[in-house]
Amino acid sequence: MSDVTVLARQLQDKQASVRAQAAERLGRCGDAACVAVELVRACGDEEEVVREWAVAALEELGPPPASSLEPLCSLAAAAQELVAYWAVTLLGRAGPEAFAAAPALVSVLETSPHPAVRQRAAWALGRIRDQSAATIAALERVKSSGDPRLARLAAESLDNDRTASDFHSRTHACG
Amino acid sequence: MERQGREARMTRRRSTSTRRKGARSVVLSRVIWIVWTVVTGSSIAGWIIPGMPLVGPLIQQVLGNKTVNEILSDERVNKVIDLAPDEAWQGKLGFLKKKLREHQAAVHATSGAGYQVPTVPGAQVPTYPGATSAARVAKSAQTIRIASYNIEVFGTTKMGKPWVVETLAQVVRHFDIVAIQEIRTQDDQLMPTFLAVVNADGSRYDYVIGPRVGRTISTEQYAFVYDTQRIEVDRSSVASMSDPADMLHREPLVARFRTRSSGAGLPFSFWLVNIHTDPDEVASEVDVLAGVFQVMQAARADEDDVILLGDLNANEHQLGLLGQLPGITWVVSGITTNTRKTKTYDNILFNRFATSEFTGRWGVVDVQSVFRLTMDQALEVSDHFPVWAEFHVYESAPMQHTAQLPGYFFQ
Repeated sequence: MSDVTVLARQLQDKQASVRAQAAERLGRCGDAACVAVELVRACGDEEEVVREWAVAALEELGPPPASSLEPLCSLAAAAQELVAYWAVTLLGRAGPEAFAAAPALVSVLETSPHPAVRQRAAWALGRIRDQSAATIAALERVKSSGDPRLARLAAESLDNDRTASDFHSRTHACG
Repeated sequence: MERQGREARMTRRRSTSTRRKGARSVVLSRVIWIVWTVVTGSSIAGWIIPGMPLVGPLIQQVLGNKTVNEILSDERVNKVIDLAPDEAWQGKLGFLKKKLREHQAAVHATSGAGYQVPTVPGAQVPTYPGATSAARVAKSAQTIRIASYNIEVFGTTKMGKPWVVETLAQVVRHFDIVAIQEIRTQDDQLMPTFLAVVNADGSRYDYVIGPRVGRTISTEQYAFVYDTQRIEVDRSSVASMSDPADMLHREPLVARFRTRSSGAGLPFSFWLVNIHTDPDEVASEVDVLAGVFQVMQAARADEDDVILLGDLNANEHQLGLLGQLPGITWVVSGITTNTRKTKTYDNILFNRFATSEFTGRWGVVDVQSVFRLTMDQALEVSDHFPVWAEFHVYESAPMQHTAQLPGYFFQ
């Protein structure tokens, strides 16, 4: 079992100090992508210090591995703002690889009580370049939102989708 | 006959010329090798450990604290360059110049003069706070040094490690102002406690801090820590920039500072804009920062100096519209700023014509080398290194804006 995996298990320890130390060490290890799901869960920890180090580790993380996309989809609907925010963020970082996450992200976009999570969902939909009617309709609806950031991100994601659509059209035409 | 004689003379000339070139090439090779060895080899020890027997004092005497520009403008070095017999050698000298510049960046990165090594785990842990009180740092009366430092998750965990706090305090004491990013705690006593450690050696630093900023419950604060004996802040100027369209994840903290100088010149005054961009939205945020910079340039008719500094999560090639502002320049180039030495995230930017007070000196403090830490210990201090730039204490007349120059100082 690798050090990272051991640390990830320690994130669920009963003792807050053990969880905090594990989160801090994961934040420093630099290659924690394989425990992305555990780190996202740690964002819901009752201890502030655990949450902050989990966030620090997540900020440094690149795209999550494919095996974590499904659990991240579930976590995107979490009630805890920070958990949902980071699950959505990682799905966005995965890009088109997270294509199957589009329905979950649309749901978050339309139902999350947290503005920051809805904004990130709009951003993530642009990153995964989903062109389904449901996604485009959802983005169009929030484009006229009173939340200027949400409206702007939705507009940008729609532009991304159009660019992707144009690209695919050209690809097919060339093929 | 005449033609044969001419050809014979030309052959002799070519032969003499070839011999001369060969001899010059040998001499040049040796000179370059000596210069290169002195500047990059033994001098590393000389720079890092000035007290090292023989090599340290020798290198200090020969090179002192010269910058690459000073070394390259040295008459002796230019004589070497003048010896170049052909384009091939000019190419080699160009390579030498390039390596010198890269090495200068490394020198900035490893310069440890004046730092003391705090006790680290495994040895005797100092009594908190600041048991290993360092000798007071000697600062130039003519210049100030402004730094930017992302102290990753600066909160209760770090404050619970005395050697980490002492390391951070020693770093701060080497600068006149430090723009800090990533204060992450709900504890409002963090900065007063940290300042008590910084001032434990008799220093008189103070700080200004911004509100908690961020879009989720995980928020951060910016702060400016400054040496009150050399710098004063206009407290009425301290503000978190408004961002009604919510373009930036963490709105910059701005404040206006001025040097305390007793000389005849006008004290150097300037805005500092402290920023930590969102790593997922760097491209759009650096574009927005171009607007922030321009807003600050126009904020006061009597203030033309705006220095934007922080963790941009972007290297010098990723500055977007910010990097395209007329006259904009940045100090950190061609060197990494994170502790793992893999990325350039942090920088200091200003208008090169308005802020002609910049002395040309800048650097990245390699905390791992300076404090002789393992990588893991260095990461306990922060995943970033501090970056800094030096400015004159007096206002200079703005330079004439005559041409769009490259954004690098060592070009």
